[in-house]
Amino acid sequence: MQLALPPADAWQPLPAAEWNADAARHLLRRAGWTAQPAAVERALSEGLPATLDRLFPREPSLLPKPKMIERAEQEAPIYAQKVRTLSGDERRAAERMARERSQMAVQDLAIKWLQFAAQPDTSGFAKWVLFLSDVYVVSAEKVRNMPFVYQHFDVLARHGLGPAPELTKAVSRSPAMVLYLDLNGSQRRAPNENFARELFELFVLGEGNYTEADIKEAARAFTGYRAQVLFGGFRYVPNQHDDGEKTIFDQTGKFTGDDVIDLAYRQNAASTFLPREMAKFYLGDSPLPAEYLDPLGAEWRKNNHDLRTLVHQFFGSRLFFAPEFRGGFIKSPVQFYLGLVQDLGLDIAPLPRFTLNPMRQMGQLLFHPPNVRGWLGGRSWINSATLAARRQLVETLFTAIEEKNLNADELIDLVAARTNGSENFTVTEQHFLSTLAQLAPAEQAERLVRTFLGESVAAEFTASLRQFIASPSPGPFQEFRRLKRAAVALLQSPEYQLC
Amino acid sequence: MPSNHHSFLPSTRREFLRTSGKGIGLLAFSQFAPSFLVQSTLAASPAPEKDRTILVLVQLAGGNDGLNTLIPFEDENYYRLRPTLGLPKEQALRMSDTLGLHPSCAAMHGLFNDGKLAVVQNVGYPNPNRSHFRSAEIWETASNSEEFLGTGWVGRFMDNACAGAPADSHDPIAVHITNGLPQSFLGAEGHSTFGMQPTGGSRRESEENRKLLEAMAAAPAGAGPGNASFLKHTLMDALVTEKKVQRVLGDYRPGTPYPPNAFANSLRNVAALIAAGLPTRVYFVSLSGFDTHSNQLTQQANLLTQLSEGLAAFQKDLAAHKLDDQVTTMTFSEFGRRPSENESRGTDHGTAAPLFIMGSKVKGGLHGTPPSLNLERNQDIEFSTDFRQVYATMLDSWLSCPSETVLGGEFDPLPVV
Repeated sequence: MQLALPPADAWQPLPAAEWNADAARHLLRRAGWTAQPAAVERALSEGLPATLDRLFPREPSLLPKPKMIERAEQEAPIYAQKVRTLSGDERRAAERMARERSQMAVQDLAIKWLQFAAQPDTSGFAKWVLFLSDVYVVSAEKVRNMPFVYQHFDVLARHGLGPAPELTKAVSRSPAMVLYLDLNGSQRRAPNENFARELFELFVLGEGNYTEADIKEAARAFTGYRAQVLFGGFRYVPNQHDDGEKTIFDQTGKFTGDDVIDLAYRQNAASTFLPREMAKFYLGDSPLPAEYLDPLGAEWRKNNHDLRTLVHQFFGSRLFFAPEFRGGFIKSPVQFYLGLVQDLGLDIAPLPRFTLNPMRQMGQLLFHPPNVRGWLGGRSWINSATLAARRQLVETLFTAIEEKNLNADELIDLVAARTNGSENFTVTEQHFLSTLAQLAPAEQAERLVRTFLGESVAAEFTASLRQFIASPSPGPFQEFRRLKRAAVALLQSPEYQLC
Repeated sequence: MPSNHHSFLPSTRREFLRTSGKGIGLLAFSQFAPSFLVQSTLAASPAPEKDRTILVLVQLAGGNDGLNTLIPFEDENYYRLRPTLGLPKEQALRMSDTLGLHPSCAAMHGLFNDGKLAVVQNVGYPNPNRSHFRSAEIWETASNSEEFLGTGWVGRFMDNACAGAPADSHDPIAVHITNGLPQSFLGAEGHSTFGMQPTGGSRRESEENRKLLEAMAAAPAGAGPGNASFLKHTLMDALVTEKKVQRVLGDYRPGTPYPPNAFANSLRNVAALIAAGLPTRVYFVSLSGFDTHSNQLTQQANLLTQLSEGLAAFQKDLAAHKLDDQVTTMTFSEFGRRPSENESRGTDHGTAAPLFIMGSKVKGGLHGTPPSLNLERNQDIEFSTDFRQVYATMLDSWLSCPSETVLGGEFDPLPVV
């Protein structure tokens, strides 16, 4: 990747004069999900530093523990007890109940997370946690214990803007991680290397920056870490811990797991590993050349690997706003979905079939990454099936939910959500026309483009929309229909898949 | 339609070559022209179209009550568990001395008598899950109850059957007429699949939508690392298929009238696509509303009427087009319902249920064994045939694809096709 900006200037703050509507849109979309005109105006009037403070606050709000997770947590020991003491059919029944509850819990968690992330004030932070979860990957599929999955995301959120070594240490004690990377079965006499390997390869250093011997030795330091349902999560079992001398990165000592993490962060490669992952997640597939990563890494190391400092420098830098990074980034399914929800002013329906099925069809079901490397991103999001799923989602959001096709439990959830004040699950005529109806057709097309895309799209693009809207449409109902069809096509267009 | 929204995309290779010859020119829009057209025009070698066996999946969404679909009219336990919902013996459409179809299934009963309808009894899986979402997932991914698979069984079929398919095979291998991509279709590889809305009356809208998207996608791509043109290519490919499909549906003349409902219309559209000779191997349609927690009698009767009449029209239409030898149709539902009725004249989520397999190559009749109803109140049926045995049968005997690779294990096939 070739950049016009010299490496020495790359991480300087963006000059105030360059903080304009295009820049604000770029930041809001890349750091969050989308950039509604009102949010752009607010960002412009508050300035870049204040906007960064809002996106990545000193004390970010956390996702409250969903009720179903709480219930699963309370019930987990009961089921564990039953499974331990019962036998035969009774035991199988208890196992089955536990599984069903856990399944309901993960669906509930996914919906609650989406609802949390869709709030404009928490979008930037939620996306940051999603990024961290794409580094510190766990999968509900293997972990199975949904309170642990919730707890893992909570750990990422609580430590997500603090010093990175503390985050990594907290993650090593996250019961979900202990299960996911097999620390749970790692014994003094038979250390399991899975966690130690991924710690170096996928969390802190990257491939090529450690030896197989380092992994073997590090694995010994992480023995004795346990995830236990009955003890509410993490438990350290001293008599399973290998407290002997280990030699890691040419240093010898009676290192603990935490020591190993500190040692890893002292390696040079640690300074640029996470910044490189950030660049990939937020800027796109083309790797950022070393001469750009190195100065950012050096600065980060100087700041004791503080994540909030890193984030503020990254998103406030001249490099982040460089023309090479404007537009052309393929939205992830989560961003596409939450962007639509925000752009259309919708509430997220608490119905797995309407909310989670589209996510899965688009290729990104929360808490179910494909493997330990997380989602690949970029062009891998797009093929004929996933693109069709994206188009379908847009149609779905413009079509009223037909209650007669709902299952009984879905109807109950829907009614409950309405009672709690969320009801805009799909775009309604009144809501949609309120701002557009008074405009002339040409202005309607411009308005749609400005609202949903916002920046310079090809004149031909807007022209085709304008022509469509202006073609004969008798009666007010037809007007809504045509505007609706125009908006649907716009949101399905290649342009809206990008940011 | 306004004339300025004329469509400039050809939908066939021949049409493409003709329009290029007429001066529109390959280069005029080659930047975003469907990649298959560019490739196949350059290679000038048409992909072979083959007559292959086709499977049509009919999802009965919501959990169809099996006991009132296939009525065990000689079993006193049935009437004990269903004091108000139990259907009287004389209404059952007899299939054997002990079993009969729901009275709304007259058309299917006809197919049964003609040997074109097989009923596989008591199909389910071990450790059944009673969540709609999860149990549908188990059926669609063909997983164990404890196992979570990211791919569907049809997707894995495509992974197997379509490895090494020519790069220009843009026609869909699987088509769904549902509101979203069925989980069954998710494969490890991206395959050409195609989806349509089941509700009728939106043809004009979908045509409008396609033309507008064509015009938009033809607008120049902005800057960026080529992602815009990549997306435009992918979209154009999809639009070409859509256009072709719309034309096929519009031109189709069914060999028999279909009942006027969305489900039958979906089947009519499947027949149209099959008749057009698409290389599609699997079709997926859905009929929903089977979650009959209350007032089940009328609701299920309506749905089974739609199912029965729709399936019968479809089979008759296929036969009229001499396509019936090529097509097998199979129903499935995420679960059956609880044998004992609830307090609202309905039934709650249960476990195993019968499913139907229809076609002229099908070995008609009753397969498998009926469930034992010697049950306590609120106790569930124990399945006797694993749904993956049915899948294995379809894969091995009908689609000629080794079922073991798709299902990740060996399942005894049934002598149904």
